[in-house]
Amino acid sequence: MKAAVEAGKTGVEFWSGAKLRAAVPTVLLIGLILTIGAIRPSFLNANTLAEIAADTATLFTLATGVTFVVIIGGIDLSIQSVASLSSVIMALLLPRYGWGAFPVALAAGLAIGVGNGFAHVGLRIPSFIATLASSGIAASIALVFSQAHSVTINETGRNFLAWISGRFLGVPTLILIGLLVAALGFWLQQYTSFGRYSVAIGAGEAAVWASGVRVGRQKIYAYALSGGLAAFAGTLLASRMSSGSPTLASELLLPAISAVVVGGTAITGGSGGIGRTLIGSLLISVIRVGMTFVGVPIFAQQIVFGMILIAAVALTLDRGKIFVVK
Amino acid sequence: MLIAKDLNKSFSGFPALKDVSIEVRDGEVVGLVGENGAGKSTLMRVLAGVYVPDRGSLSLDGEPLRLRSPREANAAGIGIVFQEQSLLLNLSVAENIYLGQEREFTSAGVLNWPRLRSAARRQLKKVGVDVDPKVRTSELSFAARQMVELAKALALEERTQHRLVILLDEPTSVLEQREIDILFERVRSLRERASFVFVSHRLDEVLAVSDRVYIMRDGGVVAERLASATSVGELHQLMVGHELQAEYYRESAQVAARDEVVLSADNLSIPGAYKNVSFELHQGEILGIAGVIGSGREELTRTMFGFLPYAGGTLSVNGRPVRFRAPSEAVKHSIGYIPRERRVEGLVLPLSISANITLASLRSVFTGLGLNHGRERSLAREWVQRLRIRARSIESACLHLSGGNQQKVVLAKWLNARSKILILDHPTRGLDVGAKSEVYDLMRQLSAEGVAIVLTADTLEETIGLCHTILVMRDGEVTARFAAPPHGKPTQVELIRCMV
Repeated sequence: MKAAVEAGKTGVEFWSGAKLRAAVPTVLLIGLILTIGAIRPSFLNANTLAEIAADTATLFTLATGVTFVVIIGGIDLSIQSVASLSSVIMALLLPRYGWGAFPVALAAGLAIGVGNGFAHVGLRIPSFIATLASSGIAASIALVFSQAHSVTINETGRNFLAWISGRFLGVPTLILIGLLVAALGFWLQQYTSFGRYSVAIGAGEAAVWASGVRVGRQKIYAYALSGGLAAFAGTLLASRMSSGSPTLASELLLPAISAVVVGGTAITGGSGGIGRTLIGSLLISVIRVGMTFVGVPIFAQQIVFGMILIAAVALTLDRGKIFVVK
Repeated sequence: MLIAKDLNKSFSGFPALKDVSIEVRDGEVVGLVGENGAGKSTLMRVLAGVYVPDRGSLSLDGEPLRLRSPREANAAGIGIVFQEQSLLLNLSVAENIYLGQEREFTSAGVLNWPRLRSAARRQLKKVGVDVDPKVRTSELSFAARQMVELAKALALEERTQHRLVILLDEPTSVLEQREIDILFERVRSLRERASFVFVSHRLDEVLAVSDRVYIMRDGGVVAERLASATSVGELHQLMVGHELQAEYYRESAQVAARDEVVLSADNLSIPGAYKNVSFELHQGEILGIAGVIGSGREELTRTMFGFLPYAGGTLSVNGRPVRFRAPSEAVKHSIGYIPRERRVEGLVLPLSISANITLASLRSVFTGLGLNHGRERSLAREWVQRLRIRARSIESACLHLSGGNQQKVVLAKWLNARSKILILDHPTRGLDVGAKSEVYDLMRQLSAEGVAIVLTADTLEETIGLCHTILVMRDGEVTARFAAPPHGKPTQVELIRCMV
């Protein structure tokens, strides 16, 4: 009897502990918005909030791809270079080929992603090395293509990008794009075998392999998705900036990975999801805008993101399961 | 003499030890038996200083003893040989034996290798094993490593003024009979140096080697017996609270195999592992493969599921030759595999029961736009009922299930994938008696339904009791084949004669 009571108690504690931890990012997000709003009431106006949401779309698109890679147990460090490369491709091709620039940019991202996957799976290279290397390659290609300059998109080219920075039924299109990406991510996670296998591989790869799943193929899908979405984020950036540049997205790697981890996806793989990344991305955006509101210089912001990433991993890592951290 | 009194230990509210008191007298071998979850391993870990008990006390030679770490236990002369071995495979034997004690061999920060090695050689001599202390541990056989572990425990002798107490936590579960005999002989000959506490699932072993036996159930000691005054039957009864069934392996439920050959090997070979292996597996047949470690039977079973590619000969499924490059291809041919490493290769532990059940056949729950969660849940519920899997809900993580229930989830995974051929690699390893008998029941049932089974079992009794046909292997070759109908089973002696 006593044992049963004790067991019941721990059951509740465990349950509420896990629940609580999952709710932390959301609570933090709301708290932060209200706090900044209390200091600067103009922050809470609909336009500012819509602006933040639109601003988040790019970050969230990057973070969505990385989410699957992280869940599966890897990391993708090439996303910022891929996004920058994609912006350069857009800037160079839009004036001449119009819509044709989009598939080329996306294909480049996919190709680098698939390359990452093959290097990691086929050559058995740790993902952070494979993607670090391909990041250098993509960055260099962007430099060569753009001759190391920022390429401004001319009037003709801008016509093809206007829809991205415009509004649809009064809502900024970027918000809608972000929601579409979220829907895609959610569908992949909940309703496809890729989504199920990703979590399973991150939590216990050997058992998944021994269940007859082609683990390598699933991993390549994840890196391809990450590359493709990074390229897509690059097109969004090109539209916002009306230019392409080999360093356009170079400040986005840290925030994107922070968004994934702050949202609550375990950096060690095996748990997490797109909903969490959405909250994490919003949180990062609010922090970024909040810093500007409070007056933190833009160059100093990476200090904050770096510290947030370390704090988030330190707070969420389940050390009960890991004895040695490499 | 080591005395433990009223030890209590709970893990997040669940009591693992309840008022446990035991004594280990000088020069004595004390057996510790109980079903899984009875608290044996927890008790061993408390004695070894790995866990600090919540309540209760220890005393050594009349002095109170407080252990807060394995190091303190070592200082008191208590060493442990773990079930999952604790040697570092990338270090040499000598370094392993004196791991953490290097200071003794160091002067001015420089390690004196010759002195370390000769000290290690001295320890190895105590266990009578001929191993070069310079050799990397990974190059040793499993059995030799076990001896090195024992030598490591005996090395404590030189660092304590107490007599040694050595804890052996299921040291035999991964050894073959011949190696077990050697280990027991060593334990007997070392009794003047040390006392032993011996934990094993195999009751006959416990009786053979121990002087006195404690029987544990549900975290408490329920009985104490002199080994000379008890029997396997009595121990078993005390462990589970009821008597061993006469018809343990359900021999009368053994129905004859059908005529259709589902899996066959023709002169199958992998150089260095096995050669010229031929057999036919029929629908509904249980084919046992017997052999010691190194006989090639492990490699043979893993070949059938695509873990290892074969070099020569032919493997055929339903008469058609196959060459699996990965398990995924074996699964496509309706083959399922229940691995020895259930928690590594069998289940994704953090995932739910339902996700594990559908892992090998996710397509079975796809409709329209994708994964149909409702359908997955109802399917999982069906299997949970049919196999009597005991869990709070189908959403529970497999991590928290008992070994028996975990094994049933693995089985459900393959049944849901409609596997026609099941390869069972030590399917009852680490299961308690009750869970074992449920697995036997399921095997009989599947065999009657026409599922063909290849079995590598933990014990010969299991192989003999369960199988229709037995293949005996030695040094990579099939040395004998026995038909094993319900009333004409071969004896263990007959099999062993062909194994060694």
